[in-house]
Amino acid sequence: MTSTTVPVQPRTSIGKFLVQGGTTIALLALIVFFFAMRPDVFLTFTNVRNILFQVSILAIVAGAQTLVMVVGDFDLSLAATSSLSGAVVASLMLGGMPLAPAILIGLIVGLLIGIGNGLLVAYLNLSAFVATLATMTSVIGLAYLVTQGTTLFNLPPGFNALGQGRLLNVPLPVYIAILIGVILWAVLRFTTTGRKWYAIGGNVEVSRLSGINVRRGRLMAFAAAGLISAIAGILLAARLGSGSAVQGSDNLLFSVAAVFLGMTVIKSGQANLVGTMVGVAIIGVMSNGLNILGVNSYVQQVVTGLIIIAAVTLSSLKTRER
Amino acid sequence: MSATVPAAAPAPHPTATPAFEAHDIFKHFDGVHALSGARLSVREGEIHALLGENGAGKSTLVKVLTGIYAPDGGRILRNGEEVTFANVRVANRAGIVALYQELSIIPSISVAENIMLSERLPSRGGIVQWPSLRRRAKEQLDRLNQNIPLRMLAGDLSPVQQTMVAFARALANDARVLILDEPTASLTDTEIRDLFTVLRSLRDQGVAIVYVSHRLEEVFELCDRLTIMRNGETMLTKDVADSNIDEVISTMVGRSAGELYPDRGTATAEVALRVEHLDGRRVKDVSFTAHKGEVLGIGGLAGSGRSELLRILAGAQKHVAGTISVGDVALPHSPGVARALDAGIALVPEERRSQGVILSATIRDNIALANIGAVSSAGIVSGGRISDITKRGMSDLQVKARSARQAVGELSGGNQQKVVLAKMLARNPKVLLMDEPTRGIDVGTKAEIYRLIRALAASGTTVIAVSSELPELIGMSDRILIMHEGQISGEARSADADEELLLAYCYGKNA
Repeated sequence: MTSTTVPVQPRTSIGKFLVQGGTTIALLALIVFFFAMRPDVFLTFTNVRNILFQVSILAIVAGAQTLVMVVGDFDLSLAATSSLSGAVVASLMLGGMPLAPAILIGLIVGLLIGIGNGLLVAYLNLSAFVATLATMTSVIGLAYLVTQGTTLFNLPPGFNALGQGRLLNVPLPVYIAILIGVILWAVLRFTTTGRKWYAIGGNVEVSRLSGINVRRGRLMAFAAAGLISAIAGILLAARLGSGSAVQGSDNLLFSVAAVFLGMTVIKSGQANLVGTMVGVAIIGVMSNGLNILGVNSYVQQVVTGLIIIAAVTLSSLKTRER
Repeated sequence: MSATVPAAAPAPHPTATPAFEAHDIFKHFDGVHALSGARLSVREGEIHALLGENGAGKSTLVKVLTGIYAPDGGRILRNGEEVTFANVRVANRAGIVALYQELSIIPSISVAENIMLSERLPSRGGIVQWPSLRRRAKEQLDRLNQNIPLRMLAGDLSPVQQTMVAFARALANDARVLILDEPTASLTDTEIRDLFTVLRSLRDQGVAIVYVSHRLEEVFELCDRLTIMRNGETMLTKDVADSNIDEVISTMVGRSAGELYPDRGTATAEVALRVEHLDGRRVKDVSFTAHKGEVLGIGGLAGSGRSELLRILAGAQKHVAGTISVGDVALPHSPGVARALDAGIALVPEERRSQGVILSATIRDNIALANIGAVSSAGIVSGGRISDITKRGMSDLQVKARSARQAVGELSGGNQQKVVLAKMLARNPKVLLMDEPTRGIDVGTKAEIYRLIRALAASGTTVIAVSSELPELIGMSDRILIMHEGQISGEARSADADEELLLAYCYGKNA
């Protein structure tokens, strides 16, 4: 008999393990390193809580970015969208609107921007890069208009409690980030929508010929991402007790970075929620650890870039291995 | 096993010099032998077919011969001297060049630059000397008797012209041994004629050509000698004139091929699909009916609208006018793939790797793709139900894979095609459309696919299959429609069809 498949025997050598689990190992190595440097501080409850608090907003934006990248696109406007949503909510509340309707309108703003991106990319066939770069530019402009270029202070205490309150001594945004993370993971893994997103990201034409509505799928991913980044922006405004056009703008680069890092976590190299969270953790642990060591924040940014290069290089070695 | 097969005898012809020889090449990957004692001997001025089923080791051998893989054992001789190729560049310098369909040209630069790509561009003080560049590029095209505008972007050329540009580059590189991997895969019949003319003229200029192909008719028309591989070993080398298709097939498969096509005659009188006055891109006023249990073949030259017809029927391409009915139910205008599937029309598309399967995804996920509705309830996917339909599909179609979680990209072409089939059959289609059902599939699996098509028909499915190979069309179908420039130019019952008649229809000559 001619056997037509070549059996690939998994080799469990240490080298292979290092390449395969490289990104996760990097995270553990960072934790061990910082713990060794500052055993008195790094793994204390307070500091771990700090790290979680610091990354909670990024985790939500990165979760949104994961959805779009699963479909094979990406969205540069997510961080700007979150800033705008936060600013809109802040400005409405300062104008006297009660909490709930203001937040609802903030969420709708994010959803609409997401739908706009989706229409441009999926229905007008613009490249995701160009379309979301353009919306990002306009959305930042809108955020400046809403805030009139200033930072909006004196938000209602009830609103600020959303970002600053604690439950069981852990800040609320941490719970919200975990909840959103679990929901997104479940959506991607168990729902028809999630499986269709993965299929579209795998191959658009195959998906279309299999009866999947590719345009609607891509639109939905952008819309969901817009909505989720609005949640992040509103939480950030609550945490800071303010709204401005620039707050959270770091999340643009860091969210994409987290997803890229996450893609190196699994063998198939797709965007995936668990991996994204590993990426978020790497970024958060590094930033916190370097802070504790007193390294300046510009250096942190340089190091983040280098880590991404290292992770992506590792994963390309992985594919070359075949 | 090999006792029944004539022993390999690459005995050099006394009068011809072997330009390039490989002896007892071994190569293994992860403990699996891809080559175990492969041999090939190519003479100057011959076209030498390298044949074998998928997985027989042809591609691996080509890669060893061109320095992409280092062999574990064996010797490679160039003009009688032993050589080792550390990489592709070294092999190219020794005059050995392999051309693959996809990688051969850079679409975004001009024809002239493509041809001179591996040479140093003529320049003065860093400024490219275009006249000299174009003159030298043109010399190579002239050797091929090709008149291709040198300033054109290579990406704007037709596939055959791109192939010619790749040849010209090889010649500019002073290639003496050209290895071609399925060079006719994306060419029309006329273009294949042109390609053969060029290959013969290269042969007459003393170039040795190794021709890797699944299309045996082409091999017998074009090649001088053939070498057949099986399971990583060379089974046979002989003059094409002394061989025949039956021998080649049985040597490739390792057993007598027997009858390639199963018996016909499962068609009933009940109309399953009625198409009336269909108009769309490349399809003009097409009307026909297909019956329950019938295998209806559709032929025609490339570009005659056969693929477009299937795509319209499957809802993958919009149509301007006309109606499609499954049984008594008329489909809505331009229904889209999802509704066509719901109505019972499923398409197995032409380009398996880009349209049929997601190569990076598992077998399970690929099969689930067209069946998301069936494997979920209230928007939640059930892993158990995916397992059920995957298990059924894999065992019905005898997909050879390690597990249902293996990535489809790791499977052979034939098994990939079975996954596409399994995906669509899980929808229980009334009408199954297949575009080039056996393209790029080895002979053994081809026979399996034909049996499968007939078994489906026997169970009441209507199969409509497009093929560019006339023997296949006649062998597998009950009835054949031929298209020419978007219209149906002829119809024949397979039992009394012959290739000549069908070919006349293909060229629009209504006999």
